[in-house]
Amino acid sequence: MYMDLISALPSVLTFDNFFAIVIGVLSGIAVGAMPGLSATMAISVLVPFTFGLDPLVALGLMAGIYNGAMYGGAIPAILLRIPGTPAAVATSFDGYPMAQQGRGGFALQIAVVSSAIGGIASALALMLLAPPLAKVTLLFGPSEVFWIAVFGLCSIIFLLGESPIKGLISACFGIFVSMVGADPITSEDRFIFGQLELLDGINMVILLVGLYAMPPVIDLLEQPLDTKEAGKALKTESLLRSLPKMFHFWKTWLRSSLIGIWIGILPGAGGSMAAFMSYNEARRASNNPNEWGQGEPEGVAAAETANNADTASALIPALTLGIPGTAVAAVMLGGLLVHGLQPGPMLFRDNPDIVFGFMWQFLFGAILLIFLGGSLATNSFSHLLKLPRPVLGSIIIVLMFIGVYSINERMFDVYLMLGFGLIGYVMDKFKFPLPPVVLGLILGGFAEENLRLTLLIGQGQWSALFANTTSLVLVAMTIAVVVGPMLKRLFVKTK
Amino acid sequence: MFNYKKKAALMSALLFASGAALADYPEKTITLIVGFSAGGGTDVMARNVAPYVEKYLGNNASIVVKNVPGASGQIGITEVAHSDPDGYTIGTYNLPGMMARTLDRDSKYSADSFTYLANIVSDPNVIVTSKKSGITNANEFIEAAKKAPKSITVGMSSLGGDDHLGLTKFQNITNTEYTIIPFKGSSGARTAVMGGHVAAAVLNISEVAAFKDELNVIGVARSKRSEFAPDVKTFKEQGVEFYNGALRGFVAPAGLPIDIELKLLEAFNKAANDPEMLAKMNATANPVEASIGPDFKRLNDELYQLAKQAWETTPWK
Repeated sequence: MYMDLISALPSVLTFDNFFAIVIGVLSGIAVGAMPGLSATMAISVLVPFTFGLDPLVALGLMAGIYNGAMYGGAIPAILLRIPGTPAAVATSFDGYPMAQQGRGGFALQIAVVSSAIGGIASALALMLLAPPLAKVTLLFGPSEVFWIAVFGLCSIIFLLGESPIKGLISACFGIFVSMVGADPITSEDRFIFGQLELLDGINMVILLVGLYAMPPVIDLLEQPLDTKEAGKALKTESLLRSLPKMFHFWKTWLRSSLIGIWIGILPGAGGSMAAFMSYNEARRASNNPNEWGQGEPEGVAAAETANNADTASALIPALTLGIPGTAVAAVMLGGLLVHGLQPGPMLFRDNPDIVFGFMWQFLFGAILLIFLGGSLATNSFSHLLKLPRPVLGSIIIVLMFIGVYSINERMFDVYLMLGFGLIGYVMDKFKFPLPPVVLGLILGGFAEENLRLTLLIGQGQWSALFANTTSLVLVAMTIAVVVGPMLKRLFVKTK
Repeated sequence: MFNYKKKAALMSALLFASGAALADYPEKTITLIVGFSAGGGTDVMARNVAPYVEKYLGNNASIVVKNVPGASGQIGITEVAHSDPDGYTIGTYNLPGMMARTLDRDSKYSADSFTYLANIVSDPNVIVTSKKSGITNANEFIEAAKKAPKSITVGMSSLGGDDHLGLTKFQNITNTEYTIIPFKGSSGARTAVMGGHVAAAVLNISEVAAFKDELNVIGVARSKRSEFAPDVKTFKEQGVEFYNGALRGFVAPAGLPIDIELKLLEAFNKAANDPEMLAKMNATANPVEASIGPDFKRLNDELYQLAKQAWETTPWK
């Protein structure tokens, strides 16, 4: 198969294909940087237009958008505390404090370099290890996936903030939101109040935009029309000079890449979970965990590496098994289908040029990110900061409306977003942490569905949850994550 | 009451009388509502078929696809049912899903809300088992369930879909009982059976064609073998009269003017037999088995009865 990989290279290196990747990365960054617009949406808008295109050109565009958007989400997360995509939530934890300290330029450079590294690692995993990694995916049945969700939910402990009670309330709110819509097993309506629009559940992007973008935007609007304050441009050094300051992140880069790749091959979880988990792990491994959240550059590196490291790896189960690891991968499968490319083991045999070409495109997309994201995009977006605050706030509101409306082209979603915005504003004022809500929404539904599938398969026996080795390993990991810090504290006290 | 003979007489009269009107349609863009997002199986079918319907409608006809996703196609089909029956709004239609929704949900449409244009795709059910299970043919599959009822776990995409109704049918024919495990979507069910987390799964032939080596495909629920997997036996060959599948086609709102209906039926009929279109559908794993107009309506009634029977005897929620 490595021969196929090499023989697919020439067909990628044509002008058309390369141009497609460049356009993809640039538009991906732009889409990611706008709150409410996500890679999923950009690619699903694109799919119908690719009918007439050469498959590799179409796939190059998609690979570029995916990589670009995962980094683009970091730009507003760092500069304005508004994550452009769900996966960029963890980036804002340390990125925004850095920007407030006047180190926003450095934070953006860390983000772009880390994104590229994550993307390259992921592309290499896809190119070299797709078939064996697909076998790993097969090991994960409902009970294993349930335990992964529990493991992820336990990491909420680290995200609870100063008041654990408020944090838990936030998490429960997220889990409640995950219950809205059709029951995952029986399709019974739950909490939809007669609204058919709610039957598919609440789209992550709607919740995110309302909850995360609304409070900062209202903050922006609350500031008086003071142009003196806003005139500050972003201080940046050249990337060549700031790069050496990042080399000591290598451990984080490596760890976060592996976490991102691993989360990517598991069905359903996706970039936000990868970013959260890698942020937690990096923080636990750090010498100064208490300084995290106050502008620790390594936090930005951890989050951004991981959310790009799950891009190509999410395509491993998608291409080999037809199960998309993320929502974006699901839309990309649609893009493949349009060109008559059926996912499955046959795909690698029947269309090696296209499959392996697609993998190369992911690699090139990730490398191009450094050049395109580093100077061009970052500089132009940072000019936005020079705008008077109220003007900037208004522009963001318009983008939020457009973004949320275009998910399903309905006003209902916009009203829903405004409702979440109000909740977010109140939560922000009363210091309820927001990340547990996001994690609760992502993992709550995931945990419920797989718990119930496990119990159905086990004919109602709870022992089905512990019936195999993979599950038991995951249970042990979960216990370690929960009990470990407690023991540590106890040990330190008694000493 | 409008009886059939009257309608036929009127239709032929109109056909002669309205030559002029017939030549005029379509005067503007036709909107094709697809109840799923772009890139899904139904969307791919719609976009593959639409250019050929345009071609055979003539008059520089143009069809624009509008994706109205949500609630497994219910939002889109409700919009079709409530739009003006002027021939400028048509929609994609899935069976048995669209009819099952009229039973298990509070739907704002019924079987009488539509003019049935053409069913294009018929994707037969297959039953697959995991390599681990050791079950390789229909007999072993039935025997295992007879020996220990409900001991075999069977994955499928969701309750009330073609997979679920198919298994219900299979249970009734063979007098067996299986444990139903509804996943979200067929790819989840397929992966679970490949990983051995469930013993078997009900899928569609287009979904397993690329995975034949990783699974035991024990039978196709079709009267003849499918060209997507010519080496897989039908259930009929193995002595079980089990036929079922997922259908995808096109409808318009009820009350379409007869001249427009006839013109659309003719265009769909020609499109369904166009070799170029057939080749495209084959490449995107869409098994074509066309039924036009009244045939499609009859098929719909049949499947509605089946779903109703299943709903009444074993409601799934």
